[in-house]
Formats: sequence, C-alpha cells, structure tokens
Amino acid sequence: MFEKMKSILTKIKADYADIRHEIKKETKISFNGMELGEIGSNTTDGYVLRVLHKGGYSSVAFTGAEDHEKAINIAMENAKLMANFTAQPVGFAKADVIKDSYIPKLKEDPRHITIDEKMQLTKKYNSLVLKNKFIATTNIDYVELIRKKHFVNTEGSEIKEELITTRISGLITSRDGTLLQNVRVAVGGSTGFAIMRNREDEFENKARIAVDLLKAEPMKGGRYNVIVNQSLGGVFTHEAFGHFSEADIIENNRSMRQKMQIGKQLGSDILNITDDPTLPDQLGHYRYDDEGVVAQRTPLLKNGVLVGRLHSRRTAAAFDEPLNGHSVAEDYRYAPIIRMGTIFIEPGKETFDGLLEALRDGFYIIDAKGGQTSGENFTFGAQYGYAVTNGKIGKMVRDINISGNLYTTLKNIQAIGNDLELSQVGGCGKGQTNIRSCHGTPHLLIRNLVIGGA
Amino acid sequence: MEKVINLAKAYCDQVELYSLEQTQNTIRFEDKKLKDIQSTLLSGSSIRVLKDRKVGFAYTRSLDNPEILVQNALESLKGGVDVQFDFPLTKNVPRLKTYDRAITQATNTKIAEECRRISSFLEQKTKGQVDLRAVTTISRMKIVNTAGSDLSTSASYYSITIMILYPGSATGIHRSFAFKAFQNIDDKDLSMLAELYKQGEKESIASGARMKVLFMPEAMYTLIWRLQSATSGKSLYHRQSPVANRLGERLFNDKLTIVDNPLDDIKPGARAFDDEGVACKRLVIVDKGVLKNYYYDLDYAAKLNVAPSGHGFKTSRWAGDTLSIKPMPTLQYLAFERGDKSFRQLVHEMDRGVVICGALGAHSGNIPNGDFSIGLSPGLYVENGEIVGRLKDAMIAGNIYEVMKRIIGMEDTTHPAYTGYYPAVLLDDINVATQS
Repeated sequence: MFEKMKSILTKIKADYADIRHEIKKETKISFNGMELGEIGSNTTDGYVLRVLHKGGYSSVAFTGAEDHEKAINIAMENAKLMANFTAQPVGFAKADVIKDSYIPKLKEDPRHITIDEKMQLTKKYNSLVLKNKFIATTNIDYVELIRKKHFVNTEGSEIKEELITTRISGLITSRDGTLLQNVRVAVGGSTGFAIMRNREDEFENKARIAVDLLKAEPMKGGRYNVIVNQSLGGVFTHEAFGHFSEADIIENNRSMRQKMQIGKQLGSDILNITDDPTLPDQLGHYRYDDEGVVAQRTPLLKNGVLVGRLHSRRTAAAFDEPLNGHSVAEDYRYAPIIRMGTIFIEPGKETFDGLLEALRDGFYIIDAKGGQTSGENFTFGAQYGYAVTNGKIGKMVRDINISGNLYTTLKNIQAIGNDLELSQVGGCGKGQTNIRSCHGTPHLLIRNLVIGGA
Repeated sequence: MEKVINLAKAYCDQVELYSLEQTQNTIRFEDKKLKDIQSTLLSGSSIRVLKDRKVGFAYTRSLDNPEILVQNALESLKGGVDVQFDFPLTKNVPRLKTYDRAITQATNTKIAEECRRISSFLEQKTKGQVDLRAVTTISRMKIVNTAGSDLSTSASYYSITIMILYPGSATGIHRSFAFKAFQNIDDKDLSMLAELYKQGEKESIASGARMKVLFMPEAMYTLIWRLQSATSGKSLYHRQSPVANRLGERLFNDKLTIVDNPLDDIKPGARAFDDEGVACKRLVIVDKGVLKNYYYDLDYAAKLNVAPSGHGFKTSRWAGDTLSIKPMPTLQYLAFERGDKSFRQLVHEMDRGVVICGALGAHSGNIPNGDFSIGLSPGLYVENGEIVGRLKDAMIAGNIYEVMKRIIGMEDTTHPAYTGYYPAVLLDDINVATQS
C-alpha cells in the first residue's frame, strides 16, 4: 500500500503533500426492543489527499483510486486559490519523519469472535433490560469499528496504525401512561472485546434508573450548588473547556484567542486539566495522529493557569507553539481536524462523602446526556440526579440541563474528588464524529450552576 | 448494477440496489480569511436482499467486486432480521427540477469572492466578526429493485451560512440560505442580519421568569426534533410516542400547520421518491393545530399494517455515512405555514421576552417525551416591544405539547433552517432561567 500511495504523491508538484488510505470495517448489530433490527459487517475504503503550496492549503477525500489524478488537480487548484486569497500564508510546523507500524494489543480481538457470539451478548444485555414491565423499549446496538490506516507524506513518513473500537450502547425507555423517560447505557472501549463481557450489572442498574425516573421530580429552573459525577464532569471538561483548547476553534476568533492566552488564570487554583492520547487502555488512545505526528500528553491547565493547547501542524505554526499530535479524522471521508484524545481533570484529595458534606444543600447530578458549546457558553444534559439536604442524598430528580459560562464555571469549581473515572464510549460531533473521544473527571463540587428544569 | 442484482437474485426472493455519487466543495471564511477549501468525491452502493421474510443489508464503496457485496448481504441475511415488506414497483413519478446546470459554473473562486464581499459588507455595518460556510453539492442517486423499479435523480445544491459573532464569544446571529445553484445574497437580507446583531450588542441582565419567547427559524429544530420523534412510525411501533392513537386531536395552537412536501421543487433537494423507491407525496402532519398524519418507511408501515408514506430515507441526525445507514422513517421536507406578521411586529408584541436566535443542547433532554431545555445562543432580551440587548447564560425549558399550545404569532415569511423552512414563532408564558 505504501508504494501505491507514494506513487500518487510523486505526481503532485506542491511544497508538501500527504495521503492517507483507510480500510474501515464496521460491524453493527441493532436491537429495537426484543426485535433484531440490523446485523452485518462491511468493509469500505478511501483516501484523503492534502497539499500545501505557496501558502495555500486544501484537502480532497475520494473513494475511487482511479480518481486520484482528478483529486490532485482539485487539491492543487484549491491550494492556489487559497494562496491568492490569503494575506497570511498557511505553514506547517516541522514534524519528525516517522516510519513505524502500530498495532495495539487487545484483550480478545473482536475479529476472532463470531458475529453470532456478538449478537448473543448484545441480546442478553438487551433482554435483561426488557425484563422490567415499565421498560417500554430499548435501542441497544453493538458497534465494532476497525480502521486500518496508512499514512505517507512527501517528507518521508510512512505510518501504519490500527484503531479498534467496540461498544454495546443505546437508550432504555421507560413508560408509565403517557410519561416517557429514558436513560443511556454504554460499555466498551479500545482494548478489545473482553471489556464488554460480564457487564450485566451496568444494564440492570440503568434499567432500574429508567424506571425510577418515572417517579422522579422534575427540576425547577434556577441556580444551584451541585456535585457532578465523573461522566458529567467529563462532558463539562470536554464541551466547555476542551473545545477551546483546540487551536482551530479559536485560531480566527479574535476575542477568544485573547481570552485563551497561555499564562492566563482561567480557573480556580485547584484545577489541573490534561489531554493525553498516550494513556494506554483508554478509549482515546492512539500513537500517531492523522498528520503522522506522534501523540503527546498535553497539560492544558495547571493550577488554574492555561499552559497549553491542542494543535495540528497548521495551527502549531500559526500560534508558534509545540506540536502535540491532536489532528484526527473520523475516517477516510474527512481531512483531520483538531480533536481531544483523552481529556480529564486530574484528581484532587476530597472523598465523595467529603464533597457531600461541603455541599450541604444542593443537587448531586449524574451522567451526561449530550452537550454542546458555543464560544464560552455551554449547555449539557444530565440523565438524572438527587436532591442533597444536610449532606445527605435524598429524592431523585429529572429533566436536568445545565447551562453556563466557561470562565465563571471554571472559577466556581470549589472542590475536586479523588476518584477519577474515564469514559468508555464517545461521540463528539465537531463537524465529524469522533467515537474515540474520551473524557472524565473525579466528582466535582461546583457553585452557582444554572439549571433549566421542566 | 444489473450484474449485482442478478448475482444476488440467484440466492434471494427480492433485491434492491441503491447507488450514490456525490461531489462536494466546502469553503470556510473566518474573520475575513479564507480558512479552508475541502472537497470530496465519494461514491458507493448499498444492497438489501429479502428471502423468506428476512432482510440482509450490505454496502461498499466500489462495485469492482460485486461478489463481496452480495456475500456480505447474504451473511447479514443469516442474522435473521424479520421484515414484512416487499420492494415496491414505482413508475411514472413526477419529473422534478432538482438540478440546475448553473451549479457547474460557480467556481470556488467565484464563491470565495462572494464570501469576501459578504464579509466586508457586514463588517462595515457591525463590529462583529463574520464567519461563513459555503457548500456546493452535486449528487446522482439511483435505485433499482427486482420489482421493476428503476429510478434515478440528480440534484444540485448550494448553501451558505452566515454568522456574525459577538465579541468575547463564538455566539452570534446566523442565517442560512439554500439554492439549487450559486446565488449572491441580497444586501437587504444582509442588512437585516446586521440590524439584528446590533440590537443584541449590549449584554443585558434579567431575572428568570415566565415570559414570551420568539423562536427564530435557526432554533426551531429544538421543537421539531421532538415532533419528528413522536410522529414517526418507528416511535409508534416501539411504544415511544406520546401521540400514538391521537390523530384528529388538537394538540397544538390552531395557528400551527406543518406540512412535509418532498415534491416542492422550488426549494433545492426535492425528491419524487424516497431512498427505497416509494413515491413521495405531500403530507400534512399538523393542520391548524390538529394532528393529521404519522409517517412511515416500508419496514414500519408493514409492521403497523399501513401504507408506506414515502419517508424511508438513509439519513441520520448526526450526518452519518449515507451508504451505511438503512432507510428509516424521516421527515426532511418540513415547512410551517407562514403567519401574518412581520418579525418586527412580533417583537413589538412582546412586553417582556426573549428572541431565541440559536439553541445549545437541543439534542439533550427527553426527546421522546417532548421535553426540551436549551441554552440560548444567543437570546436577545426584549422589553416593551424593543430588543434591548442579549442575555448571558440563559436557558429555556418546556414540553412541546404545552408550549406549542401557546403560539400567539407567526412570521409572514419562512426561512431555510436546519430540518426545514420555518417562520419565527412567538410563544407565550415560557420558563426562562438566567444567572440573575
């Protein structure tokens, strides 16, 4: 494959070019309620070509190898157009030339497990959930994605890497009369099939919560002190802070770039945030990004002070900051963009009981239900929560959506637990879907969060 | 295609082959700079096979090895997914004007120049940063099945989204425009955006309360997603719909009429048949507040023993890979019937309230139940019929079956926005939470 790709590169008369070929194998098994809705395994492939020429940059994704000359022409034409249009030529930060092959070790390679066994395991978990008479239906999927990537550039890099992601996840819907409630459930990761075995408790617990939500009290909109659990804290860290650490988000936003200057105190001094794709056995793990740059642990916030950000070769050059290997594509249909790998708030010293005691009165809100950010404003949902009175957990509450301002909220993190947990499934939708987006935090005590209730 | 059909037919009762070729150019301008030009040349096929009331599904990017595609479909068939439907024989669908040859005359240079013109125009009128995204798409889709359907369509699509950002944020006033080929955006439309932006320049502080809320088209998908979920044949079948068995009931205010019309080829992207070869038709979902119809693909129509409505599309909310997605019931040609008041008149009718120009987190919350809780991105604060600034850190929450009973005004124009064409809609008595 490398030779075929290199032969394409030889036809390009540009200052720099790279090409990535991916073979993507997707296995999907889907249950809607008791019914099997879909089962199958398919392999597709395609190329992404990027060129940098005289300060102009462009990319073309194509699926037919026979289209490579057409793709080269389009890429060159667009790069020239961009060069003519821009006063600030695009440059790439210098990267090491790498020749390597990285195949991660797995605990049970899903390729060695029959599709029938995968279906039976998914069916077992789905059936456990459906046993409860208040569960109206489920949408439970098994999804396995195997990406075999080859990357070659005109600087001499030749990299092969495999990314294998598996999950069993979905939505559990409970019903009482016309009232519908739902809870998300997910197990999986990047370490192989074994992580999805013996997870009955997770599915039974989530089914119980879906039923309990039918009797939970709707939240009243207002401002509250809260403890957020690891999943919710992870979504906050990813959505509210993490996206601002992605240099391509702020590159051309004058005011955000000013606010996100290295050295600025953005959060309380107990707050340390890091992104680390090198962490083994985590969903967000990879060795090389899709520009062939080695992934690096990247401290972002240290004692509340901004100390780093995530870069592509382009933005590292534009910001004159170090490369750290965070330019990643969903698959062969896309050029890479800057993504988080595994972002987390580093653990503090507080026990969960200590946080409850410090909270006294407020809410303990649990598990993320999607999130979104727009500039410094963020909104994300929680799946459920509990009222906390005098430091004791009380009644369940539902209909929880949190909204806030990044900088205010970072400063309102009053205490950090000692119990960091990282997510097993991801799905960040920044233009492309990154199913390996991994995040987590310890339990966090946050003051004055706006919650829009029912 | 014929070779694939014949290969599969040897093993199956019925076969359907779907193929798609698509080229796309995306140009992004940020703060007067041409940030990016991305192009894609994608093609591929997907197959469905039926045998003994079971279905198999597979897809590929290349038909060079049709045996592999068929083999994957047969493997999928062994999984035992039950179905009750047959592939349809569809002929004589209306010829829609979906392709405008002018699309090929719009070079990236021309589009980039238009982006630069818009950027300069708006930056002269506002202090905001202007970001733009222009997308040109040409596609050709074909469906052939063993029932005898042989359908194809070509489409051209040009869209441009304009955003004027407020300082210190990535939030701003935005609007999308969609055509079948490149068009310059009218200065009048740009001026209106600039004026709205300027009215929200000042940050306002307001205490949370129940008040009037004007949903702009750009935020309407918050409400629409809930309605799409509730009226889908899939939700009905899986007992996830709160409006099951409620056809003919008045669920919403009588100002609300919602129609799905894939045949309207004045708009770009019209379709005479869906992604499984069923003829499309105009379908009234809500008529003067009364729920009139649900919508179905082949699969769920058969499961519920009703006729398919031509709504089986290979799309997902999160823009997945069309090829890898099976057809599902999808409403993607929605339009609200317009009202009789201008945007300004609607604002003047608000003693105190918020104009919601964008939603954050519309995908969160309990969608099947109709609940929503969104951050305002931005929300422009109105006092005594005038926009006085924009609210920081505000949210609204509610349930569509309650709030859409409280429609008190509709704009007299519809605008293309995510999921359809909508006017601004004024709702009364909505819960707004703020930091104050």
